[in-house]
Amino acid sequence: MEDVHERELVERCRSGDEHAFQELVDCYKDLVFALIARTIQDRSRAEDLAQDVFLRIHRGLPYFRGEARLSTWIYRIVANVCLQEHGRPPAAVSFDDERTRSRATPSGPDRQFGDLELRDRLEKAIARLPANYRLLVAAHYLNGVQYEGLAEALQMPLGTVKTQLYRAKQQLRRLLETDLK
Amino acid sequence: MFCDEALDTVEAIAAGDLMPVGRVASHLETCPNCALALTRARQLEASLQRRAVPAAPAQFTSRTLARIRRARWRSDQFLDVGFNLAIGLIVLAVLSAVWMLLHRTGLAGVSTDAVDVVGSGFVALAKRVAPALPLYVGAAALLVSALGLWWWAERDAAL
Repeated sequence: MEDVHERELVERCRSGDEHAFQELVDCYKDLVFALIARTIQDRSRAEDLAQDVFLRIHRGLPYFRGEARLSTWIYRIVANVCLQEHGRPPAAVSFDDERTRSRATPSGPDRQFGDLELRDRLEKAIARLPANYRLLVAAHYLNGVQYEGLAEALQMPLGTVKTQLYRAKQQLRRLLETDLK
Repeated sequence: MFCDEALDTVEAIAAGDLMPVGRVASHLETCPNCALALTRARQLEASLQRRAVPAAPAQFTSRTLARIRRARWRSDQFLDVGFNLAIGLIVLAVLSAVWMLLHRTGLAGVSTDAVDVVGSGFVALAKRVAPALPLYVGAAALLVSALGLWWWAERDAAL
């Protein structure tokens, strides 16, 4: 969405224009729902949480100062909703966790890794990741959200976002490798 | 030991954020385990890029807007109750202050006489009104029904 149109839409929403808010929901519903559904993996709960996000947006719009992009602010709300759902703050994951450091030594044939079953196993493996890793993976691979955008939305340094994503993928790869054994 | 270092870079290489050069590149070419890890990291990267994007349900917008209207209505109701409670407390405080003032200034005795006069006035009024009482009751019932209908319509619109 263009910046000018975005500011105009926010102003209309602030003045109580219900059609403007409907336009905002239509504009961002797929993004919000996809992010939550990929993180929570329960469609009915995901819809409830996506509605929560728009409820928070509706309540928060009068206080939205426009310093960040609307989409960045929405990402931040989605992140808070998803992490609250799991009752854990983003900083709770320790990178020194021995479980994430344990090496899976790949041996034997690389059977089934690239086949169609991978999709199902991938979803199951993602479900086993910590909530903040799931959110990062969901957001990064959704419409190509760049590292910079994620860092701004999650209020993290760029390096931390990259490191967390690599750790998430490393953990995913190991979960999939363990699954194959 | 070097495998650990190389394995730490495979995700960044698979994502295209890092180019394998020097020691890492030659290690990845010679070590089958690390080469396999890189292949898998690339396959995982491709699978994540292809991951299905779930679309919002068809009635999502209308359901969300209805939920927002309900929340706003509840919040308005809460404000109304709070406002009425505050007004009630203010009236009570004013009445208490007047009562205390009357007692402290000795005007209570005078006010008791005044209450008697007003009370006898009310009795006289009630005796005069009594014959037309059914008419007043009917009018009051009509007024209450109208107010009830208005409240119901407002509540329905808010939902």
